[in-house]
Amino acid sequence: MTNEPASGVARTVPSRRIVYGEALRRFMLRPESTAIAAVLILFVVFTILSPALFPTKLTYISIMAIASELGILSIGVTLLMIGGHFDLSVGAVLGLTSYVCVVLMRDFGLSPVIAAPVAVAVGALLGGLNGYVVVRFRIHSFVVTLGTMLIWRGVLIALTGGFPMTVDIPVVFKNVMSGPLIFGFRMSMVWFFAITLLATILLTRSRLGNWIQARGQNENAARNLGVPVDRVTIILFVLTSALAAVAGIIQVARFSSVDALRGEGMELQAVAVTVIGGTLLSGGYGSVVGTMLGAITFGMIQVGLVLAGAPGHFFRTLTGVIVVGAVILNTDVARRMARSKPLGGFKRSSAAADAAIQAGAAAEKGEAG
Amino acid sequence: MSEPLNPDQPPTRARPSGAGSGELEASRRTIEPIPPGAVPVMEADHISKGFGATTALVDVSLKAYSGRILALLGDNGAGKSTLIKILSGVFPPDGGTLRFNGQDVVLRNPAEARERGIATVFQDLAVCELLSVTRNIVLGREPQKGFGPFKFLDLKKADAMARSALHQLGVRWERGLDEKGINISGGERQSLAIARAMFFGSSLLILDEPTSALAVRQAGKVLDHILTARDQGQAVILITHNFRHALSVADDITVLAQGRVAGHFRRDETDLDALTDLVARVG
Ligand SMILES: Nc1ncnc2c1ncn2[C@@H]1O[C@H](COP(=O)(O)OP(=O)(O)OP(=O)(O)O)[C@@H](O)[C@H]1O
Ligand SMILES: [Mg+2]
Repeated sequence: MTNEPASGVARTVPSRRIVYGEALRRFMLRPESTAIAAVLILFVVFTILSPALFPTKLTYISIMAIASELGILSIGVTLLMIGGHFDLSVGAVLGLTSYVCVVLMRDFGLSPVIAAPVAVAVGALLGGLNGYVVVRFRIHSFVVTLGTMLIWRGVLIALTGGFPMTVDIPVVFKNVMSGPLIFGFRMSMVWFFAITLLATILLTRSRLGNWIQARGQNENAARNLGVPVDRVTIILFVLTSALAAVAGIIQVARFSSVDALRGEGMELQAVAVTVIGGTLLSGGYGSVVGTMLGAITFGMIQVGLVLAGAPGHFFRTLTGVIVVGAVILNTDVARRMARSKPLGGFKRSSAAADAAIQAGAAAEKGEAG
Repeated sequence: MSEPLNPDQPPTRARPSGAGSGELEASRRTIEPIPPGAVPVMEADHISKGFGATTALVDVSLKAYSGRILALLGDNGAGKSTLIKILSGVFPPDGGTLRFNGQDVVLRNPAEARERGIATVFQDLAVCELLSVTRNIVLGREPQKGFGPFKFLDLKKADAMARSALHQLGVRWERGLDEKGINISGGERQSLAIARAMFFGSSLLILDEPTSALAVRQAGKVLDHILTARDQGQAVILITHNFRHALSVADDITVLAQGRVAGHFRRDETDLDALTDLVARVG
């Protein structure tokens, strides 16, 4: 922490107060800061509301189970949103791939070692289809995936006849996907953290990551410089749906079943999680770690409210409040702070600051037009 | 932040009477004629293009030679941008042929044009606002390290590339290479785009109105960069509305009017009045 501001120190050594002030200012400019604040505040609030039940290991385990499944799904959505696209079909893809996995095991007697990869491949294929339509017909991904969401959900309802289907899953597979780990946490949490790490490396340290950001910021510029933007788009959709399938398989392992409504509504939860995590809705900028924290925020709300004895509908309301609050923090406040001068001669440059300014400029343009 | 510059690349030579030093003057007084038998880097041969009902280009031919600057003049809507978009692979012509180093070529997309060494700085500037200077410069040509599927960006090498790209052009970049695109001014964007285009070994540099949005000093700098590119042996096509700029740096001048070639001159065969006259008459 202490050596971070030091990298930008001017010739004179600033006072300790200024260093801390600048450190705080920079922290506020990080995309993840809102989600970190949300996690901390919710922790305090829920601990006060139910001091006996909330700060316990059992609660943490439940929170992480929810956060992991939703988080894996949301990481794909985050990368896609940074690349400048939306995917409303991830919930339906999660449902349909879960169905494929269950049917392969139950009706075809296949081992999950085969059924699970096939389900992921089917997910990738469905994602590829989304991407192909977006690229080939130049239709906004929001509309394309709205369509495929309805299609795959309809197909799933038809296939299941609306009834839940259960399946016997080998214990080993159950354990590997979602079973209890040391300290009682579920394996899904390990997958969640691993995917967070991989996606972060992909986004910030790989060529594809650079292309994703460029695609989301200035598609024409990227294309004119020889970035294969259409290929990037298709890869993003494939990745997103494949991750939806992974989340689906984890749920299958946890519930040993699938039903017609599996995954419904998760597409919007994923957007909420992504936005809480500091990714710009307008694309081009965001953080996978932010999304991870956003998913944990989500899990805390869900579990915390139940423990506090709040009525069920309260969950949506509170989530909505937090989403709106997060967006305000991530854009408006950050924008103001970005325009404010850095303290004590620090360098100005900061990705988040610039993102906030740009988001603000875009919003002002929108209001004017 | 001032890292040592790459010693392998000499700074561009000073040009005391060059465009950068205030008063614009012709960059070279006498213009050698194109040597007979020289093959143009890019030749457009009877190109036409329409957009639905509008005809943007009719039978337009031009040649760009290595070490020469061709200025493309014309009124708004004359078809200049359309022509260079065809030369850059943004869209194909309806009729006519492109020849690159004497060979017929079909450019299916901008990536193919870039692979052949055609670098274009478009009118709407290609900068990603939230990427760093370095990432903007290497975009599409990012250096990687590692092997097989485990390839990562080589960020150190990328910084070195960006630094030498800027140095090669003689751009003094005093802020850090991690400065984001959003904080880069119009003139700096042009410089950056030209540096990028030159660094990745282009043989044809195309610039669409690089000076139109710039103040005098910045415009002079950009013209200086264009001369540097020419001196390094690139063929340059420069679109501009500014006849003075064209007359100060170009070797050849082609005037487009309503999608047709209205005239083609060597720079020393024409002057400001003649050009103004011509454009007023045909535009
Ligand atoms: N994508 C397009 N679709 C339809 N018409 C177009 C398109 N691009 C250009 N045109 C039309 O083609 C003609 C030539 O346009 P172009 O942009 O090439 O002119 P220009 O010489 O670059 O003008 P300016 O100096 O204003 O940049 C204009 O009539 C323009 O409206
Ligand atoms: Mg134009």
